[in-house]
Amino acid sequence: MKDLRRFLTRLKNLVTRRRDDERLEEEIEEHIALQTAENVKAGLPPAEARRQAMLKFGAVEAIKEEYRDQTGLPFVESLLYDTRYALRRLRKSPSFTVTVVLTLALGIGATTSIFTLFYDVLLKSLTVANPGELYRLGKEARCCYWGGYSQENEYSLVSYDLYKHFRDHTQGFAELAAFQASDPLFGVQRSGGTASAQSYPGEFVSGNYFAMFGISAYAGRLLTSTDDQSGAPPVAVMSYRLWQQYGSDPSIVGSVFHIDNTPFAIVGIAPPSFFGDTLRSDPPDLFLALNSERLMPQADAGDLNQADQYWLDLIGRIRPGAESAAIEAQMRVELKQWLLSHQSEMSANDRAKLSEQTLFLRPGGSGITSMRAEYEHWLQILMMVSAFVLLIVCANVANLMFVRGMQRRRETSLSVALGAHTSRLVRQALTESILLSLAGGMAGLIVAFAGTHLILLFAFPSARGVGGLPIHASPSMPVLLFAFCVSLVAAVAFGVAPSWMTTRVDPIEALRGVSRSTARTGALPRKMLVVFQAALSLVLLAASGLLTTAVHRLENQRFGFLQQQRTIVRIDPGLVDYQPNQFTILYDRIRASLSTIPGVAAAAICQYSPLSGNNWASSVWLDGRPAPGPDADKVENMVYWDRVTPTYFSAIGTQIIEGRGISEEDTATSQHVAVINEAFAKKYFNNENPIGQYFGRPELGSSRNYKIVGVVQDACYLDFDFDKPIVPFFFLAEAQHDVVAKTGADSNPGSHRLHDIILVARPGATVSAAEIRQAIISVDPRLPIESIGTLGEQVSNQFRQQRLIAKLSSFFGMLSLVLASIGLYGVTSYNVGQRTTEIGVCFALGATPAQVAVLVIRRALALVAVGLALGFPVALAAGKFLGSQLYGLDPYDPAATLLAILTLSFSTLVAAFIPALRASRISPSEALRAE
Amino acid sequence: MKRKADVPQGTLALMILKTLDVLGPLHGYGIARRIEQISRDVLAVNQGTLYPVLLKLEQEGSIVSEYGPSENNRRARFYRLTREGRKQLQAELRDWEQTAGIIGRFFELKAEDLS
Repeated sequence: MKDLRRFLTRLKNLVTRRRDDERLEEEIEEHIALQTAENVKAGLPPAEARRQAMLKFGAVEAIKEEYRDQTGLPFVESLLYDTRYALRRLRKSPSFTVTVVLTLALGIGATTSIFTLFYDVLLKSLTVANPGELYRLGKEARCCYWGGYSQENEYSLVSYDLYKHFRDHTQGFAELAAFQASDPLFGVQRSGGTASAQSYPGEFVSGNYFAMFGISAYAGRLLTSTDDQSGAPPVAVMSYRLWQQYGSDPSIVGSVFHIDNTPFAIVGIAPPSFFGDTLRSDPPDLFLALNSERLMPQADAGDLNQADQYWLDLIGRIRPGAESAAIEAQMRVELKQWLLSHQSEMSANDRAKLSEQTLFLRPGGSGITSMRAEYEHWLQILMMVSAFVLLIVCANVANLMFVRGMQRRRETSLSVALGAHTSRLVRQALTESILLSLAGGMAGLIVAFAGTHLILLFAFPSARGVGGLPIHASPSMPVLLFAFCVSLVAAVAFGVAPSWMTTRVDPIEALRGVSRSTARTGALPRKMLVVFQAALSLVLLAASGLLTTAVHRLENQRFGFLQQQRTIVRIDPGLVDYQPNQFTILYDRIRASLSTIPGVAAAAICQYSPLSGNNWASSVWLDGRPAPGPDADKVENMVYWDRVTPTYFSAIGTQIIEGRGISEEDTATSQHVAVINEAFAKKYFNNENPIGQYFGRPELGSSRNYKIVGVVQDACYLDFDFDKPIVPFFFLAEAQHDVVAKTGADSNPGSHRLHDIILVARPGATVSAAEIRQAIISVDPRLPIESIGTLGEQVSNQFRQQRLIAKLSSFFGMLSLVLASIGLYGVTSYNVGQRTTEIGVCFALGATPAQVAVLVIRRALALVAVGLALGFPVALAAGKFLGSQLYGLDPYDPAATLLAILTLSFSTLVAAFIPALRASRISPSEALRAE
Repeated sequence: MKRKADVPQGTLALMILKTLDVLGPLHGYGIARRIEQISRDVLAVNQGTLYPVLLKLEQEGSIVSEYGPSENNRRARFYRLTREGRKQLQAELRDWEQTAGIIGRFFELKAEDLS
C-alpha cells in the first residue's frame, strides 16, 4: 500500500516532469544557514562557521543526485532516454534499419507460416472431447474397400459384421464407432425444391459416431444408436458448412432431403468445428447411419450385409484406466474367433493365410490421416528449408548488428572515457537491438498472416463439396514466438557484444587505436557468419534448382495421352434412377448430342479418365495357365482396368499399337473383349502375340471372360506411384456386362456408371461450358454435371504440391541469396572503412585503383569460396534426400548445382563491387589525414 | 577517535518519525540536531542524507510538509507526522521491541539456561 502510493507519486512526477531541485536547494541553504548561525553562536568566526556547517552537511551533489532519483523513476527515465536515443540513431541510418527489419520479418514470417501448416496437418488433434482417449484400428490409412477373408499386413478395414463383433465383445472401449473409409459424393436435393441435384461428400457412420467423439449438435440432434437399426426411419446430419450453404435456414432441421434420390429427414446440424473423422481437404457434409446404406439406389449397394466386404474404419474411445495394449491383444483374439466362424465361406487362399492375420491399435486423436500421409514428406522438406532460412536470417542479423556495433567503438570508447558506466552503455546497445527485433517481429507477424493465407491458397485451391479446409489461416502463436525469440537472441547477442568488448578496453588505448590500428577485433566471427550463410544459400539454391527441374520433367513426361484441345466433363449417371441396361443407350445419346456442337471433333465416355484420382483393380487369370495362387491379391499382382465407350482411344489420344480399340461392334451380345496396354502384354505374354488370347478374372470364376482384341500404348492413369513404371492395365467395353460364372449375376454393375466424358475440340475451335451443359440437358435434365475442366488442368493438378514446393523453395533460395549478399556487402564495406588508412598508404606507394578494387573483391570471394566448399557436400546430401522423395529428381544434376554456384558467385561480385569501387576512389591524402 | 556507527537503512526513517512524534513539526535542520543530540553524536550522520529520507517518507504519506517561519525568521519547510505516520511508527516500534527483546534474551543466554 505504502509502496504503491510512493510509486504512484513518483510516476506522477515522471509524467509531469516535476523537479524538486529548487525546493531541495532552498532546504539545503536553510539548513546550512541555521548550522552556521549555531556555529557562530558557539564562537567560530563566520567564514569558518560556514565551512564547518558545509562539512557537516556532507556531499551536496551526491545528496542532490540521490534526491533526484527518489523523486522520479530513474530506471524508467533512462529507458525512455535510451529508447529515444536508439530511435534517433535508427532513423539516421534508414538502410540499416530497413534491412534488419525486413530480414527479420521474412525469416520469422516464412518460418511461422510453414510451421503453421505443418502443425495443423501433422500434429493437431481433431476438435473433439479428450482426443487422447481415442484409438483407431490400423497402422496406416488404407483406402477404401477390401474383399475376402484376409488383409495384407494388418486388418485395418472392417465389414459391418466384423464391426459388430468387435463392438459387442471388446469391453475396454466405452464407445467403438465405425464409419465409411471412402468419402463418396451424394446427389443432394431439397425436397420440393426446384434446383437440380448438387453433389456433396458424405459418409455412412455408426449410430454412436458422434457420441464416441463426444460432440453435441449445433442445432437439432445428432445421430443415435436408434437411428442405426434396420427399419429405422432414414435420417441425416448435415455439416455446419453445408447448412450455411442453404443460408443457415433454421427450417432445414426437420425437413426432408433427397440424397441419391432417397428421402432422408435432416435431424440436426453438426458443430462448426467438426470436420469429420479424417483430416482432408473435402470433409463430409452429410452423415448417414450405416443401416441407411441398404436403402440407397446405388448399383453396387449392399456392402452392409456382406461379412467379407471391408469398407469401414474404426475409432474407439477407451474406458478411463483401460490399457490400449490389452485391448489390442483382446481384439486380435476376437479377430481370430471371427475368422474361424467364417471358415466355411473362405477361399482356400484365405484359409491358408488365416494364421498370419493380425491387427494394430494406434492413437486416434488426430483421426484417420489420409491428408497427413499425402503431405507429410512435402511439409517436412519445407520445414527443413524454412529452418535453414531462419538460420540464415539469424546469421545475417547477427552480422549486421555486429558490424554496426564495431563502427560504434570509437563513440563507445569516448563515452567510457567520459565516465559512462559499462552497464549503461550495454543497455543502450541492448535497447537498440530489442527495438529492431520488436519491429522485425511485428512485421514478421504480418508476413506470417499473409504467407499462411497464400500457401493455403496455393496448396488447396479448390475442393469438392462445400469444402472449408479444417486448417486455419491464422499463424500458430507458439511458433511465431519461437522464431521471434531465436532472432531476438541473435540480434541481442551480436548487438551487445561489440559494446561490451569495447568497454573492456582501456579507453585511451581504444581511442588511440580505433581508426589507425589494423587489428580487427571480432573479424573471425563475422567471417564465419558469411561463410555459414554462403554455405546454407548454396544448399537452398541447389535444392530449389533440383526441385524445379524435377517438377518440370514430371509435367512434361510422356503421359501416353494427349492434353491439347481436350475437355473433361464429369457426370454421375448413378444419381439418376437408370436400370443397368439403360446406360448404353444413355451414353450413345450423350455422345451423339455432344457431337452436334460445332467445333467438337470427338466425344467418348469412360469410367475414369487418366489422373482423375480413381481406378478399379483386380487380379487376372490367363487362359491355359493355372488359376492364380494366394499371392494374386497382393498389390503388386493387381491389374487396373477401366470401362470405356467406342472411340475412346482416339478421343484420349492413346495410340493403338496392334489390333483395334473398343468399337461399336462390341455390343452386349457379342464376344466380350478387352484392350490391354503394353505393360500387360509384356508382363503376361512376353514374346507371344496377345491378340486373340483369352483371359478372365478369378472373382468371376473364369479364365475366358475376355478376348484380347488390341494392344495400346502405355498411359499414365494412376495419380500415385510416379516413381514406378506404368502398371498393366486393361480396358473393357461399356456395353458388355461381366457375369459371375456360378450365379449368372452382373458382377460389377457399378463399373457401368461412367464418370468422365472426354470432349475433343477441333484445332482452333473452343467449346463453351454452356454449350456442353445444353447438350447434356437436352439428353436428360436430371443428370448432374459435377465439373467441366480441361484435361491439362486435371494433369497439372497432380503436380500441384510438387510445384508448390518447388516454388516455395525457389523463393526461399532467392531470399537466402539476397540475405547472403547483404551480409557480404555489410562485411566488405565495413572492412573497407576499417582499412581506409591502409588503402591510402597503398595508393601513396603507387597502387592503381584497379589493384585496390581487386584486393577487396578477392577477399570477399575467398570467404564465399570457403562457404561453397563447405556447402557443396551438404547440397549433395540434400539432393540425395530429395531424390529419395521425388520421382524424376536427379540428385547429381550438375546443371542445377553449377547454376547455384554461379548465381552465388555472381551476387558475391555484385555485393563486393560497391565497396571495392569506394575503396578504389579513396584519395590517398585524405585517407592519411583521416583519423 | 570516536567510533561512528553506520546508520542502517530504515533506522534513520524510524528516528525521524519518532522525533516528529515527540517534538511536533520541525524543519530538516531541527530534526538533524535532535537526532544528533539523542544519539550523543554516536550517529554522526552526514546531515544531508536526511533529505532523501524525508522525501521518501513524504511520498509514502507518513509525513507532510509545509512552509513556516524558522528561528532566524526565514522561510523554512516544516515536517509534521500524519495519522498514518503515527500508525506506522507504532507498528515499527512494536516490531523493533520484539526483535530487540529476542536478540537481548540471546545475549543473556547462559549454558545452564538450556540444560
